[in-house]
Amino acid sequence: MTTHIPAAPHSADSPPTLDRRALLVGGGAVVAGLGGYQLLKPLWQPHSSVFIAKGQRYDGPIEQTILDGLLAGGLDPRALAGRKVLLKVNLVEPTRTAPQVTTHPAMVLATAEVFRRWGAQVVVGEASGHMRDTEMALVESGMAPALDSAGLEFVDLNYEDVAWVKNAGRTSKLDGFYLPRPVMEADLIVSMPKLKTHHWVGLTVSLKNMYGVLPGIKYGWPKNVLHHAGIPQTVFDINASLPKTIAVVDGIVGMEGDGPIMGSPKKLGLIVVGTNLAAVDATCARIIGLDPARVNYLQLSADRIGPIAEGRIAQRGEDWRQVASPFVLLDRPELQRLRLAPGVCVS
Amino acid sequence: MKIRARDRFAAERRDMPWIDDILKRLAAETAWSYRAGGTLAAEPLSLAALALAGHGHIADSRRACQRLASLANADGSVGPKLGEPAPGWPTGLAVLAWTALANKTPDPFADFSKRGVAWLLASSGETSPRNADIGHDSSLRGWPWVQGTHSWIEPTAINVLALKATGRNEHPRTREAVRLLIDRLLPEGGCNYGNTTVFGQALRPHLEPSGLALAALTGEGDASGRIERTIAYLEQTLNRETTSLSLAYGLIGLAAHDRTPRVAEAWLESAAGRGGREAAPYKQALLALAALKGECPLIALSRTLVGSDGCQQRRSPGTHS
Repeated sequence: MTTHIPAAPHSADSPPTLDRRALLVGGGAVVAGLGGYQLLKPLWQPHSSVFIAKGQRYDGPIEQTILDGLLAGGLDPRALAGRKVLLKVNLVEPTRTAPQVTTHPAMVLATAEVFRRWGAQVVVGEASGHMRDTEMALVESGMAPALDSAGLEFVDLNYEDVAWVKNAGRTSKLDGFYLPRPVMEADLIVSMPKLKTHHWVGLTVSLKNMYGVLPGIKYGWPKNVLHHAGIPQTVFDINASLPKTIAVVDGIVGMEGDGPIMGSPKKLGLIVVGTNLAAVDATCARIIGLDPARVNYLQLSADRIGPIAEGRIAQRGEDWRQVASPFVLLDRPELQRLRLAPGVCVS
Repeated sequence: MKIRARDRFAAERRDMPWIDDILKRLAAETAWSYRAGGTLAAEPLSLAALALAGHGHIADSRRACQRLASLANADGSVGPKLGEPAPGWPTGLAVLAWTALANKTPDPFADFSKRGVAWLLASSGETSPRNADIGHDSSLRGWPWVQGTHSWIEPTAINVLALKATGRNEHPRTREAVRLLIDRLLPEGGCNYGNTTVFGQALRPHLEPSGLALAALTGEGDASGRIERTIAYLEQTLNRETTSLSLAYGLIGLAAHDRTPRVAEAWLESAAGRGGREAAPYKQALLALAALKGECPLIALSRTLVGSDGCQQRRSPGTHS
């Protein structure tokens, strides 16, 4: 159970949002009284849990899997009734010839249905990083017909009105971030990434996926402002500055090699769910053969956004060692050095 | 340009009532926005002003341009939305809109246009020495989305169009930016947001930036053949189902090289009939602009140069500069 509570962005006109603890039930020490983002002392580091399901298929009963994962992570369905839930998908540069680039629509529909069943108001959103034609991104990813069939609203985060929030992470030079109104107004943001390698930073999962909440009209296409401020630093800072987040990872078919755009599909059959993004990403790193402690933005996130140490992450469902399947990385020393040390036992 | 367009398209619109519907909606707008019910934004507003001017609705265009002028900052730049004065990437679009009315006497937006151009010329993307990991020439200067970052295809293309439209075809910044645009076209044709290869891997092209880049490259020669291959990419990829934004920019790009497909009008009408997310003022304005073919102000203005004698001259596509 995660206990780190990133402070909600402060904005004079932002509506009151649900306290994250109200969404969570079950065990785990809760650090009470945090008035804002704080660095927690190691002694106080909470544990978190990450749920892994194997043998998953897009045409299978993944709605039940996701529901099980969310409950295993301690999410309280009763706290979600009437709440606004934003499913933040990855549509960075969709093309129908390479579906491994983007979150599969079946994952989105299943997750939406879980939250709808719990009475939440669900919208799907993204600020596509490489494409200004959002409708094209929706069509190429297969998301448009899926959302329309389910009556799900899509919010184009690239063009929405924005509010400025202070950079709560402070590891980059950026003083703050412009966040689209649907992000500000969400009671819960569900990061729904594709599990992929990333040719600059090693891997991209739920933390890096949050680049896509920042609007293109303020950050560009690509969001070059963030690159210039440092990718690891801004990944951390954005996540430290966001309101309540959880993760549902599409690892049924991931991407290996030259990710996040030009890599090859990698069939894993996994869905990974957790209420702490750092713990989820650290687990995903291990699954694909990377040492989370060597991934820069996970180093920054460790014990600040959440635990990345294996001993602090309780495994629910499958053990990561039983489902691990090392991904191909580009043959570059800065990427190869991210690999788990020889001797780390995976099946 | 506008009078000629009005005469020509008044007749053609008898067969294209969808354009009149769009123009009526654009003229009646008070919040030209990215989506239906959205808030005022400079890009949709600029495109609406251009579409209205291109179709001869001068008074409505003037009203839109006036609204656009209210978004201008003291330094000449124009931010993306009301209350968002930065970044200034929409400035080039605003200059194009104001310039479309420039042959009216008196030119009510001359000062805004002049200050906008000054801001454009004072700004540029960050450059760096060539890097073996990156396919493009990162030492070339174009324009960024946000000051302090690298140059990318779309803002550079927009600003090339703006500089050409204001008679600066031969300006060193225009020439360098044209070289940048050609350099950023993919070897097999088309382009994306502005990367060609990374770590030796060629990236994928997309329609919208390819069309916009081709528009900016109207009248340019290219010994590498990349422009011609980009035209071929658009000709092979655009179709009736193409989404509005990509269809409009794709057709504008082809029109800039006199390669408008015969079925273009049917495709545009089909796109204009879509509802939901596609029924936004932003996209409707672009469809109306694309329907103007070679008379689309985005490209027609760029083909009109002011000569040293002060007279306007028509440039023909394919002219080497």
